[in-house]
Amino acid sequence: MIELPSRPGRRTLLVGLGAITAVWIAAGLAFPDSWAGALLSIAASPSTHTAMLRLAVPIALAAIGGIFAEKSGVINIGIEGLLIVSAFSAILVTFWLGAGESTLALSHHWWGFAVGVLVSTLFALLFAIVCIEFKADQIIAGLAVWLIALGLAPFASRIVFQSPNTAGVGRFENVTIPVLSELPVVGYLLFDTPPQVYIMLGAAVVGWYLLNRTAFGRWVVASGENPKALDTAGVDVRRVRYAAVLLSGVFAGLGGAGFALGQLGTFAGSGETAIGGRGFIAIATYLFANYHPIGALLGSFLFAGLESVQIQLQNLGYAVPTELIRTVPYVTVIVVLVFVGKTRLPEAAGESYDADED
Amino acid sequence: MTGSETATNDARADEELAVHLDGITKRFPGVVANDDVDLRVERGSVHALLGENGAGKTTLMNVLYGLYEPTEGRVLVDGTERSFDRPRDAIDAGVGMIHQHFMLVETMTVAENIALGNEPRKWGGLAVDRGRIDREVRDLCDRYGFDVDLSATVAELSVGARQRVEILKALYRGADVLIFDEPTAVLTPQEVEDLYGVFEELTERGKTIVFITHKLGEAMHAADGVTVLRDGRAVASVEPAETTREELAELMVGREVLLEADSDPVETGDPVLSAANVTVEDDRGVEAVSGIDLEVRAGEVFGIAGVDGNGQSELIEAITGLRTPDGGTVRFDGEDVTDWSRRRRIEGGMAHVPEDRHEQGLVMPFDLVENAVLGSQRSARFARSGRIDWADVRDHAEDVIGTYDVRPPDADAHAESLSGGNQQKFVVGRELERDPELAVATHPTRGVDIGSTEFIHERLLDLRREGKAVLVVSSNLDEVQALSDRLAVIYEGEFVAVTDPDDVTEEELGLLMAGERPDERTQPARAGSADAGGER
Repeated sequence: MIELPSRPGRRTLLVGLGAITAVWIAAGLAFPDSWAGALLSIAASPSTHTAMLRLAVPIALAAIGGIFAEKSGVINIGIEGLLIVSAFSAILVTFWLGAGESTLALSHHWWGFAVGVLVSTLFALLFAIVCIEFKADQIIAGLAVWLIALGLAPFASRIVFQSPNTAGVGRFENVTIPVLSELPVVGYLLFDTPPQVYIMLGAAVVGWYLLNRTAFGRWVVASGENPKALDTAGVDVRRVRYAAVLLSGVFAGLGGAGFALGQLGTFAGSGETAIGGRGFIAIATYLFANYHPIGALLGSFLFAGLESVQIQLQNLGYAVPTELIRTVPYVTVIVVLVFVGKTRLPEAAGESYDADED
Repeated sequence: MTGSETATNDARADEELAVHLDGITKRFPGVVANDDVDLRVERGSVHALLGENGAGKTTLMNVLYGLYEPTEGRVLVDGTERSFDRPRDAIDAGVGMIHQHFMLVETMTVAENIALGNEPRKWGGLAVDRGRIDREVRDLCDRYGFDVDLSATVAELSVGARQRVEILKALYRGADVLIFDEPTAVLTPQEVEDLYGVFEELTERGKTIVFITHKLGEAMHAADGVTVLRDGRAVASVEPAETTREELAELMVGREVLLEADSDPVETGDPVLSAANVTVEDDRGVEAVSGIDLEVRAGEVFGIAGVDGNGQSELIEAITGLRTPDGGTVRFDGEDVTDWSRRRRIEGGMAHVPEDRHEQGLVMPFDLVENAVLGSQRSARFARSGRIDWADVRDHAEDVIGTYDVRPPDADAHAESLSGGNQQKFVVGRELERDPELAVATHPTRGVDIGSTEFIHERLLDLRREGKAVLVVSSNLDEVQALSDRLAVIYEGEFVAVTDPDDVTEEELGLLMAGERPDERTQPARAGSADAGGER
């Protein structure tokens, strides 16, 4: 048996992070012209915070979707692909409806949004059929969803726009809630923001409630832990898993379409596409949050916050490699899994369920 | 059976039957699993369905529970003919099943498990009414004298408590007839006694119990009526008071059976295995074995009896090389093997029948040929310059299957497709056919029917006759008492006694297993207080 080093635990980790943060803030306040000072002013600036919330949208929503699929026993590693197809189709439909003009009526955006969610859900259905009906390996099927999306979106874009990048279609406007938006700090953050941010915040609460307080949520958990127990209790495991995977498609679709129409206003299909691995960061996020929807929302703030700080730093002329920032979520997950060790995969995750087997 | 209960039984005779299976035949392609079986169970009684592995007990109960549709015959519950397409239909008709492998979600609470699939809703279905679950389950607990913590997660519960959760689950769904599939297979002797108490509570309140078993003692002790199945036919329906163990055994197997394994004295030789002051920690770092000394000689069967979880698993793992002891030495054939790898120990002639055949004995998705080579994959017998000679392995697998009567006799069958008893026979066969110097067997006959148990016992005794050493661990007192030349009782990581099994009674062993030291006993032998056995 290999002896593992004793785990320092979540508390030690938090104390350590807190100490580093305190030193940084102290240094920043004492020497405003230093690196630490610049970083502090960026981290404290409202524009960083608003950007963080918007950048968190695809990560948080994809993570909440992923939680449902994985809790039910189907690991949906193709969630990146769902973000890509929903983002692209949302932009495409909005473009068609608006005949290419960049100043569109809001309703066209919402039509595009709805189609984006629908396309993502259809892809999730395809994935569900392959995994549940034909018992394909979930990881391979998930990778296939991602690779198909990665090729299909720029291909379709070339046909329509003669370029892997689509034309711009404009963005959602901010929805300002009277009175509440006047509040200090939370006002501009939470009550004067584009619609996809409201959707994200609402989805986290709805996701938590659905998973923990409804019978369906309990079935999802049972389906991922001991599907046979659920089956003998008279609940159809396949139907629960279908519902959970479709739900992951809906949530990811909300994230992808919301991100495209609320933040990007266009879709860049070259390379990693405009989604750029945010679906994989979402998987890291929900593992980090141990499958808790609200935790996943907060985790996405952390990772989106880092991205937002990095963008601001670049604007100020400090060159921080994007690639390095991108590694942070994955490194965090490894650190959390090794040292905190609270994340536990559902017992039956990744296994197909055969009701006839004894 | 007390006089008053017999009287009520007679009074019940005229009432309608709770369960009546009338001429059930169930055919699978090429097999007749049940052949014109009748089963009559009176309301408020405990009925045992007794038979060997593969006699068709489970098939018959699956018909009653709606998992199989019978080819012929009628299912009557409370006098009404029923046809069940799915378990749901059976549940709705008041038939509940307590599976051998519990159908519980370990991460969820007791209350959530009990209500799973039947959650009462509130707010127009938008939320689970958890208050109502708690109320209803507490009512059930009060009525049947159960004591379970509803907010505990199932992972925290003992096996006995989990079984009670399963029973509550069936009762919560309104079951009047409860089917138990081998309910005592995973229980400690104490928990078995508790279960019999639960049977009484349930039947006193009008519930009907049918349990599947292959253990004679259970059928004799706990049942009001026994139906014996053999080769898919009901060969007899008797009352325990009117029969004997020998008669039941003969009905079950179809020939006369030696219930006591016959062990003639054999000359013992040098110590093959000796452990000195062995201390072992379990996975949590808690000391599970505290300074045990033991010696197994050639031509000797050394038995270890104890309630599961008293350190026997860790001790065996330290001996067989699956766990590093934290102190002490293990010597095998005169050599210090404490630091030897598992592979070296196997090559040195140590065979091991592990306690958990699923986790440690077999690779479930592999076929029997592949499983037959496990542990011998590098031995000169099967490996030729780094490659495995599969034709040889197949011959070997077929030998084991033939000798140990593994059914179905198909070397290409996957391990997971075999019943538990047949899996066990295969593992025992593979290990004992290694021609070992020392055979270590934990629960060698767990889940195995009496015909095959007799055979496995014979093989262990054969090894002993050939002058090999055998170490047997079991919580089945009959088994260790019958096989062992010397018997140790383990309690909380220590041997509380090492004796000649003929010098102690089952009651005394029960007390020792419950932690009573021999010197603390006021009455040395044959205390006769059977009620106190294992009660502590």
